[in-house]
This record gives sequence, structure tokens and C-alpha cells, in this order.
Amino acid sequence: MSTSDAALIQKIVQRDESALAALYDRYASLLSSVLNRILRDTQAAEEILQDVFFQLWRNAAQFDPGRGSLPGWLVVIARNRAISRLRRHNPSEGEELLETSVIVPSNLESAVVQQQLLGRVKGALENLSADQRAAIELAYFEGLTHSEIATRTGDPLGTVKTRIRTAVESLKRTLSP
Amino acid sequence: MNGHPTRPEDFDLYALGVLEGEEKAAFEAHVPTCAACAEKLAEARGRIALLAFAAPRVEPSPAVKERLMRQIHSAPEGARLQQRERATREVERAVGPFPRWWPAAVLAAAAAVLILVSVRLWQENAHLADELGEERATLQQQQAQLDEALHVVALMEAKDTISVALASQPGMAKGAVRVMYNAKMGMAMCDGWVDPAPANKSYQLWLVPKDGKPISAGVIEPSNGPINPWTMKLPPGVAAKAFAITLEPEGGMPQPTGPMVLVGPVS
Repeated sequence: MSTSDAALIQKIVQRDESALAALYDRYASLLSSVLNRILRDTQAAEEILQDVFFQLWRNAAQFDPGRGSLPGWLVVIARNRAISRLRRHNPSEGEELLETSVIVPSNLESAVVQQQLLGRVKGALENLSADQRAAIELAYFEGLTHSEIATRTGDPLGTVKTRIRTAVESLKRTLSP
Repeated sequence: MNGHPTRPEDFDLYALGVLEGEEKAAFEAHVPTCAACAEKLAEARGRIALLAFAAPRVEPSPAVKERLMRQIHSAPEGARLQQRERATREVERAVGPFPRWWPAAVLAAAAAVLILVSVRLWQENAHLADELGEERATLQQQQAQLDEALHVVALMEAKDTISVALASQPGMAKGAVRVMYNAKMGMAMCDGWVDPAPANKSYQLWLVPKDGKPISAGVIEPSNGPINPWTMKLPPGVAAKAFAITLEPEGGMPQPTGPMVLVGPVS
């Protein structure tokens, strides 16, 4: 049975390098995928990937596994930093997320569960209309707001808001446990 | 919106990042003051984070993990930092501030540390028979200090060691740093001082090779005032064109991203 994220975090706090390596092996692929999708730049994606895990090494003591999911937290941090870079925002904004609590509706520690979720998420997106799916992807992978998506697609702002709200309701129903 | 968000999906919209203007401001003003809403936002963040699974699978290069493990290994923190600070304090006790008496002071300090550590090693050996387990860790620490002292002596004595003075760039923080570098040994030593770094930033020292990308020589600790003299291992055989110090996000970066604060060309 593999060691839990919480136990590995505790070992990192005690400066156990092998624990960081184990968490890297568990989640680097997921983070690399989302970073490459956002940035479309392998070198930039790898820099952020390394930086996120280095921040985990430095700040592991501040992470409370009882308050949320480590992979959820890692994904939020990585996405935030990638979008900051994409939009040339101040990258230090990501530091504020050290206190961010993220509760993922599944235990992602198992590779099998990750594989099952991959299928569920893809299925949930396929259930959306093409317009809804495109709007969600512009928001999640490009970091665009309502009005920016409206500008990009040429649709009225109200239409975009309704489209995204409906899509989010659908995703919430499908992805909740 | 003065109170709780009116619709449940507002939390997901905020986590997705599409809210803006007054909607976003009102949300951010309320949620930190309401535990129930903070919990709902955490759950929404988790749901939205699952969209990461929609990204096409891209495995990272094995080099990323190697760089990460090197980075945490060379990070001047925890036991390694304490060990170095302890060695530095012993040097300063023996010969005073390091930079002013360079390089003779380094040799004297290294010799002093050598003697101190050797005596300690001998003393500790006498107790090992009774306290072997407990003393093993201490012995390893002292061995590391001894190794570092020997490296300092070797670097200072080598005829092909070069000295590079790094000067402040116009409009940047003031400082004066000196690097002793031996390409054949793949080793360098640094000391000097630099003005305080801004919050959440670190100074990082780089070897700029004649060919190829800059190589990190480590993050400078502390980030202001006199620099604790420290030795660093670098890939051997790299011909240096210059050494430079840049301002980077706290903890340093794999490659320089910030402005050059001090630069010293190799003559």
C-alpha cells in the first residue's frame, strides 16, 4: 500500500528528500499536462513544474492535509502561476495561495482513481454543447474572464455568462460525488 | 452582493476565474469573513481543479526531477544552512570578518577549522564506544565541516584558481562580491555584501559559461548585508565568461529571469 500524501508531507517537513520525490512521481504528470496545455511552451511549463514542487519543499509545514487535498492545491497553484505568466501578471500572486484550501471530491493518491477521473472529466465535458465546452476551456486554460471570452468569441456578454453558468451547473452535477 | 453569494454556482464561477469587476470584488469581500462560504469555495476549487484532467497527457522530461532534486539539495536551508553557519562562525571567531583579510584569512580560517574539527573528531572518537548511535550524526556533521575546510584550502592553493570581482550595475542595488573559481575542480567560493533584496525575492549567483546557458551557483543567504562565505560545487571543466547575481523569486530559479544586479567578467 502506498504512503499517503499526509504522511509524505510530514516526511518533507522533516527534510526527507525521498518523500518529495514520491509526491513528484505521483502528481508531476498531471501538473505537466495542465501546464503544457495552458502555456504551450515546454520549457516554461517545466520551469513552473519545478518551481511548484520546490515551493512545496520549502513550505510543506504550512500545508495542512486536514484542510484540503494536496493534488488540488498543487493544480490550483500551477494553473495560477501559468496563467500569471501567460497574462504577464506578477508571479508573486501565487504565493498567496499558500493558504488556499482546496477540497477535491475524490482521493487522487491512487493512479487508478486518477485514471477513472480522467474518463469522468472528459465525459462531463463531452456532455456540454460545443459553445459551452469552448467557453469553459477559454476560462480554465487561458484564464479569460466573462467579458474577455465575449470579446474573443464575438458573442454578447449576457449570452456568454448564461453559457458558462449552465456549463458549470452541469459539471458540478457530473463531478460531485 | 453584500451577503452570501445568491446562487450556488457562483463559487464555481469564482474558482474558474470568470468573475470580474464588482461581482468579483463583492465575492472577495464576503468570503474571507464567512466560514461556510469559504468551505463552499474550497469545494468549488476542488471541482474546477479536476478540469486539469481534460488536458492532453504530457509527461515531464526526467531532467525536471533531476534539477528539482539538485535544487533542494543545494538549497541553503535546514541542517545544511545551520552547518554552514556554524562553520562560518568558527571561522569568524578565529580570524575576524572574512572579506577584509582575503585570501590569507581564508587559509588561516580553514586551518583553524581544520584543527578545531580534528580535535573534536578525536575527542568524539573516544566516546563512540559508549554512544555510537547518537554520535554518528555529530561525526557526519563534523566530517562535512572538515571536508569543506579542506576544499577551501585546495581552492585557495590551486594555481589556476581565478578571482572575479562583481560590481553593481547602474540603477541596481549596491554591493561588492568576490568569487574565487577553479574550473578544473568545478568549485567556487563567494563572499562580500549586497543591499537588502525586496520582499519575496532572492539574490542568485550564476556562472555564465563561454558556451551555453548560465549555471546556478546557488541562492545567496542571507538576502542582504554581508554574505556568509560559502563554497559551491559546479560542473567541472566549464570555462567561465563571467559571474553574475540576479534578482529572482524567493528560492531561486532554474534559469535567470530577473535583472542583473552585480556582474563580474572573467578577465
